[in-house]
Amino acid sequence: MSIAALGKAVSIRALHKSYGATLALDDVSLDIPAGCFCTLLGASGSGKTTLLKTIAGFETYDRGRILVGGVDIGPVPVSKRNIGMVFQNYALFPHMSVRRNVAFGLEMRKLPAREVQSRVEEALALVDLIPYAERLPRQLSGGQQQRVALARALVIRPDILLMDEPLGALDKNLRQAIQVELKRLHAAVGATVVYVTHDQEEALFLSDQIAVMDKGRIVQIGSPRALYDKPVDRFVATFLGECNFVPAGTGILAVRPEKIRVGEAARGCEHMLPAKVASVDFIGRGFRLLLDRHETEITALVDSTDEIAALQPGAETIFGFRAGDVLTIASH
Amino acid sequence: MTAQAPAAALAGRSNPAGVGRGFPVWLGLAPFGLVLLVLFAVPVLSLLKLAFGESGFSLAQFERMAAVPVYRSVLLTTLGIAGLVTALAVIASYPLAYVMATVGPRARGLLMLLVLLPFWTSALVRTTAWIILLQGNGVVNTMLMGAGLTASPIAFVYNLSGVLIGMTHVLMPFVVLPLYAAFRNLELSTVQAAESLGAGPLTVFRRIILPLTAPGVVAGAMIVFMNAIGFYLTPALMGGPGQAMIAQMIASNINTELNWPFAAALATVLLVATVTMLVLFQRFFGLERLIDGGGGKVGQPFTVTSRGRSTGGWLAIVAAGLIGAFLIAPIVIVFPMSLGSSPFLAFPPESYSLVWYENFFSTSKWVTALTRSLQIAALVVTISVVLGTLAALGVSRMRPRWRNMVETIFILPMIVPVIILAVGLYYLLAPTGLVGSIWGVTLGHVVLATPYVFITVRAALKSFDDNLELAALGLGASWATMFRRVMLPAIAPGIAAGAIFAFITSFDDVIIALFLTNIRSRTLPKLMYEGVAHEIDPTIIAASCLIILVTVVVLGANLLVAKRKTS
Repeated sequence: MSIAALGKAVSIRALHKSYGATLALDDVSLDIPAGCFCTLLGASGSGKTTLLKTIAGFETYDRGRILVGGVDIGPVPVSKRNIGMVFQNYALFPHMSVRRNVAFGLEMRKLPAREVQSRVEEALALVDLIPYAERLPRQLSGGQQQRVALARALVIRPDILLMDEPLGALDKNLRQAIQVELKRLHAAVGATVVYVTHDQEEALFLSDQIAVMDKGRIVQIGSPRALYDKPVDRFVATFLGECNFVPAGTGILAVRPEKIRVGEAARGCEHMLPAKVASVDFIGRGFRLLLDRHETEITALVDSTDEIAALQPGAETIFGFRAGDVLTIASH
Repeated sequence: MTAQAPAAALAGRSNPAGVGRGFPVWLGLAPFGLVLLVLFAVPVLSLLKLAFGESGFSLAQFERMAAVPVYRSVLLTTLGIAGLVTALAVIASYPLAYVMATVGPRARGLLMLLVLLPFWTSALVRTTAWIILLQGNGVVNTMLMGAGLTASPIAFVYNLSGVLIGMTHVLMPFVVLPLYAAFRNLELSTVQAAESLGAGPLTVFRRIILPLTAPGVVAGAMIVFMNAIGFYLTPALMGGPGQAMIAQMIASNINTELNWPFAAALATVLLVATVTMLVLFQRFFGLERLIDGGGGKVGQPFTVTSRGRSTGGWLAIVAAGLIGAFLIAPIVIVFPMSLGSSPFLAFPPESYSLVWYENFFSTSKWVTALTRSLQIAALVVTISVVLGTLAALGVSRMRPRWRNMVETIFILPMIVPVIILAVGLYYLLAPTGLVGSIWGVTLGHVVLATPYVFITVRAALKSFDDNLELAALGLGASWATMFRRVMLPAIAPGIAAGAIFAFITSFDDVIIALFLTNIRSRTLPKLMYEGVAHEIDPTIIAASCLIILVTVVVLGANLLVAKRKTS
């Protein structure tokens, strides 16, 4: 596919930015290989959007360097950076048709009309919007507007595609559909993507690489599996999915709820402990149990069995987990 | 495609050029700031200086003001008339705003038009129309005598009632609009709750509606009072000697007594009173209120209950009908009268013709004045659109810290009574020779009109999504290209509305023209004023109708554009 953006590698070196006394970016370093889908994941105020806008050039920074394809883009004005940006509210130009919106970036690059037209067609085809080309943004649904924003960003063949919580405004079903679509597009186009979200499932689903951010710092960088299975600390462990911290012997063991086994199923585990049932809730694919052990609450997601269904709050039971399922968390 | 960054890329601070906000704040603020400094601050301050003694500080002028009974009584009259007008405006606004909030959209649109039309009709035209209606041999008296209700004409004008009628008529919208918004924001359920708890209509009004609408009313009342104390035209033309207000006293001290220091002292008092009101208003309501007129979200609109209107509701409708008629009467009456053929004013005219329009267009002094007015208005629109748009862009890019202060300064010319600006500019410009040319009056109008452009464009910029700018820059547009292709189309309706307000401000102005033009450079409103102050002849009525027509055409064009935009 000719739209394939030959994405460039991004390298962020020791970036600092402060608003008065507060540190918005605190010694942020991050290497994103060309063609990588990298997600900045964090709660609001963690600095993820600031980092994205700094890469885009919409925000200044105090110290550090941002290299795109090995070139420092610090002194390059926004309009010369060759970035594709998808905004949370899409920021489609309301007075221009879908086609005019998508053509805008190409016109800025003074491409010949013929080429503008063919590339716009190609981009619209990619996101399946050719029948809507003459409509105004307000005549489109949220999901369609989203795709226009994507086409407008991709058509310029950006060095980097930046996306700021692009699915935040959509309802859950549509969000999932577009996630699948995004993944397909990324596979087809191969652009370098920097994606901002606070939704951990979205991050796990989409990313090649996730950078978890907190208080302006990058806490951990890695593949989704590496982050989920080997979180560096409690913050990452709880931010990416649920996590139990089970007091056992002298230490505390971190275990994901789906790795906890209850009742008969716990037999044979390396770790087995008694607990009291606090609540039993049916959630379709299984049961969600809350167990109480020495004032510590343990969450377990277990398969639907008659044994579990028969459990009553207040009953004594046992739970257990395999030694291999204990997360190794570096202590800070 | 990436522009190659210089090899010696800065390792330290990133280049602010990379942040591409491309439009420097100073470039926006400086032009209008400079105009305000030279054409507003300097004249007003030189008046203050004159008031406090040119050589050494002295309160002599103010002592004289306090000592001489005539001046004391003018000050009291000013406050008294302003207070009465404020009270009348509030009382008349309640039924009207209530009905506006509870009728269907079509009737509401009509009522809104009734409220806004006088607001946008030249003060001089309105005043002229009222005099025609109310004078001894005027329309109202002719009807009353014809019906045998009175044997001799009742004196409606050239006394207190004339002033109150004229001023309430034009100032009412300042209360009606916020009050209407307050009624719209009222939740029907609060009224229903009160009724379910046993409250009758009067109690509901006193305990629920009055307290909930009070903030809007007080805000509107303060604006009415603030405007009323500086009124010049209406009391001068519709009042008698007993209704002389402070603005007239300023003018007569300049024109007839040639006592500049005392005029300056009176202007100082008026300025201090206005600024005090403004400060109070800002403290209680904030300036945004002054700018948007207190419109708010419309949630669950307040309507009449399903069981229909109570007796009180019907009384309100009758009252609102009468008030609506009061608002529109002078405007509708002038049209048939302008079409009469006799040189004596009569309503309805005995026969119809276009003779007075022919007279208007064949008399060189009228045609010259009309051409000159249009010429000045065109200049004013051009200059104030540029100044106001730049100022709005600059302010929207400012740090919030100083923004409020700058905004207040930029709208001051709307708030300070025009008479003060007119007198100050006259004092400043008289030695320069600009008074005889169209440039003196043009500059004065620019000062008056630019705040309107500033406000409308600022509002448009507030609703402009900053991300659109970032998106365009991100796609490779320079700031100038972004402005032309993305921002300008988005704020164009705001600029157009500002241009219209600027046009009307210039085209309708009498007070600036009174001081800054002479017989060679006089505008249409000034020529009319000279006629009205002397004796109203039918050509003046034809001129009034022409002014109304121009206003309606301009406003209508704006409505059409706005409508096409939204559909």
